[in-house]
Amino acid sequence: MEHFKIEDLNFSYPTAKGKLSLENVSLTISKGEYIVLCGRSGSGKTTLLRHLKTVLAPHGKRSGSITFNGVPLEQVSERDQASKIGYVMQNPDDQIVTDKVWHELAFGLESLGTDQKVMRARVAEMACYFGIQDWFHRNVADLSGGQKQLLNLASIMAMQPEVLILDEPTSQLDPIAASDFLNTVRKINIELGTTVIVTEHRLEDIFPYADRAIVMDEGRIIADDTPRNIGKLLYEQKNLMFAAMPTPVRVFYSAGGKGDCPLTVREGRTWLAETFPKAPAVTALPVSEPDEEITDPVLSLKELWFRYEKDSPDILRGVNMEVQKGSLFAIVGGNGAGKSTTLKAICGICRPYRGKIKIFGKPVEKYSTGELFKNCLSMLPQDPKSLFVKKTVREDLEEMSKDKDHVAQIARLCQVTQLLDSHPYDLSGGEQQRAALAKVLLTDPKILLLDEPTKGIDSFFKETFAGILADLKAKGLTVIMVSHDIEFCARYADTVSMFFDGQVLTTDVPRRFFGANSFYTTAANRMSRHVFANAVTADDVAELYRINTGGSN
Amino acid sequence: MGFERCHPAVNLIFFCAVVAAAVVFTQPVYVALAYVCAFIYSVKRGGKKALIFDLVLIPLIVIFAYYYSIYTHFGVTVISINFIGNRMTLESLLFGFTIGVRAAAVLMWFSCIHSVFSADKVVYLFGRVSPRLSLFLSILLRMVPRIKKEAARIDTAQKGIGRGHSQGNIFMKIRNCVRIFSMMITWTIEALATASESMRSRGSMLRGRKAFSIYRFDNRDRSFVVAMFALITVTVMAIMLKQTRALYSPRISMSPVTTLSYLFYLCYAVFCLMPFALELWTEYMFRRARKTV
Repeated sequence: MEHFKIEDLNFSYPTAKGKLSLENVSLTISKGEYIVLCGRSGSGKTTLLRHLKTVLAPHGKRSGSITFNGVPLEQVSERDQASKIGYVMQNPDDQIVTDKVWHELAFGLESLGTDQKVMRARVAEMACYFGIQDWFHRNVADLSGGQKQLLNLASIMAMQPEVLILDEPTSQLDPIAASDFLNTVRKINIELGTTVIVTEHRLEDIFPYADRAIVMDEGRIIADDTPRNIGKLLYEQKNLMFAAMPTPVRVFYSAGGKGDCPLTVREGRTWLAETFPKAPAVTALPVSEPDEEITDPVLSLKELWFRYEKDSPDILRGVNMEVQKGSLFAIVGGNGAGKSTTLKAICGICRPYRGKIKIFGKPVEKYSTGELFKNCLSMLPQDPKSLFVKKTVREDLEEMSKDKDHVAQIARLCQVTQLLDSHPYDLSGGEQQRAALAKVLLTDPKILLLDEPTKGIDSFFKETFAGILADLKAKGLTVIMVSHDIEFCARYADTVSMFFDGQVLTTDVPRRFFGANSFYTTAANRMSRHVFANAVTADDVAELYRINTGGSN
Repeated sequence: MGFERCHPAVNLIFFCAVVAAAVVFTQPVYVALAYVCAFIYSVKRGGKKALIFDLVLIPLIVIFAYYYSIYTHFGVTVISINFIGNRMTLESLLFGFTIGVRAAAVLMWFSCIHSVFSADKVVYLFGRVSPRLSLFLSILLRMVPRIKKEAARIDTAQKGIGRGHSQGNIFMKIRNCVRIFSMMITWTIEALATASESMRSRGSMLRGRKAFSIYRFDNRDRSFVVAMFALITVTVMAIMLKQTRALYSPRISMSPVTTLSYLFYLCYAVFCLMPFALELWTEYMFRRARKTV
């Protein structure tokens, strides 16, 4: 039976001057389906999802109809909508309302006026199902991002919704927390039969398990099919969305593979094993030998030790690092390993109690604030939003530099020229990231520090971003980047360092670095390591495939 | 393991009664009892820190009594005449002293309240009156630390480009602070808007809101309340018999102390020490239970 039925939905925002944000959207969603909605930022995914719940529907001009269980949505009472249609938003922090975990869990039931006894039973049930009982009495402020998002999910599930709508729920989480969260969502779908509609950038974790994938572009639905067919369709259409497909899909089509398209790493391995029953002739791509000695280090760290409080454990435990001028240096590693702290130490926000930091051969403490942050180094923080302090992007940029031509030039470089008059908080994640980068670049840094620059950005913005970084490198800038995003690092970094337990353990070029790892490595490498030696990106695998099958490049 | 494990309503009744009594009762025995009991219980709850706090209050009481007697001159028993010719009287000195002691007792009771009442309990108690009010309180308790955290985050981000609150010369510092502050206002408004969306999405606008409670009113609470009310009743009788008040002007006078008075004193002291006794008892029971395992 159909759950939601959307017919000819058109919508435009009042400020859009008639430009449609949703155009002729027609869609039927059956009970118990698991649907993934994909599309680049600004393609209308969020707008569409918000229309599925009256209280969240944006204001604007709208035509067409939406029915829920056969009843027009506007006639479904607020009470029914509150309990039956669950909605999880993007930022885990923003949607938690109360101060205690137990109170948040009970929030929806309190609203519905549920009887105290029933409420207790339901809350207990939820806490057990989601494994929350251990932190039931905690303050929400003490939870990690992943725990917060899980709490949001649990507090919505407590109302026993029939549909669960999730709008990029993992964009603010680290990869491990993200895949945990998505597994829980999948479990809910399988075990409880709740209909799930989810938008995601991180398709690797959900694409293979979705019943249907719906692709949106500029407010229209351009594809609506099973995930396996969607890959093919997008490849044939040469759609930009193809870049967001899971690695096995991209490898398969760009290598010109035959047979059924693999969706998961396991299927990808089987496909490669079947294609190459014997070891292929060429198994490795050339690796550039790293220079033994770093000739021209712009930055060197020697035995850094740091702790936040006198009695707290050491965060940095002897960090050694040297960065070659003009390179993109990536630091990867788990949560809390001290990666961000290292960046803070470099720009003097925290002072190590032992060890030396030298920037251009001069100790960092010898620099005055003016010297250090003008024409020398600057840092792009994890949350780009926290960099903005003015009402428009233009004002924010102009406070960094009086020279209007310079501002215009940097704005062009970061592709924010058309956003200059918007309020920074109104921009999307990727746009905020670029505007923040522009602001940081206006200090004319020679060393650019980036803290998780790809967090919450879709794959197109990532490519744009990588392009900007390449431009900067060409101008002689050195970029040091801390990231969870190993796919991005594998593709664009010159050198990758593994950070663990407050130390840098290994440093190497990506191909060798990820080629040597077997768990902490890219999906392309995991998929191909039994056949190829050092293929770390989808392009690498596709190239080796073509070389060995004699396909033309 | 102590009084904080009782139902919040029990905590509330006790502290209301005990603070009201400490404020209203002026009869010296009652004042002394309130002081001693508050002292004992606050030390029991707060340990060394509370002891230091309580001891610091003692010189303050004496200073206050002296100060009071310098500026007020009622009473008939003259101790001395100061250099501008005003009389220092025993009555005003003693009255000043009782005010100081009562204030100290109230402060000590408040230190107990602080350690017994968690924010959860306050939220719960408000929820009994109005679920909306308690929700509001809970949102406030969430927002304040969040704002602090965000301010720190913005400051760190600004430091990364050399514009933190502690960077540059004094004018730069002031300017940077103002920038961060003005952005915090925008941020707070944004955060509240999203939170309200999340609330509405979960039906916060529906009628008939109820407050969830993690507390249970058990048999121990019941017997505690019965005992409390018995003792309160006796104390109310004392009030009606004018046993709890004394006059300090023009001379000290109070109702005669009879045998019944001793019963009143006893009941008041027992009442004030009920949570203390409860805590001693549970600790004893806990130790005994552990021993017999």
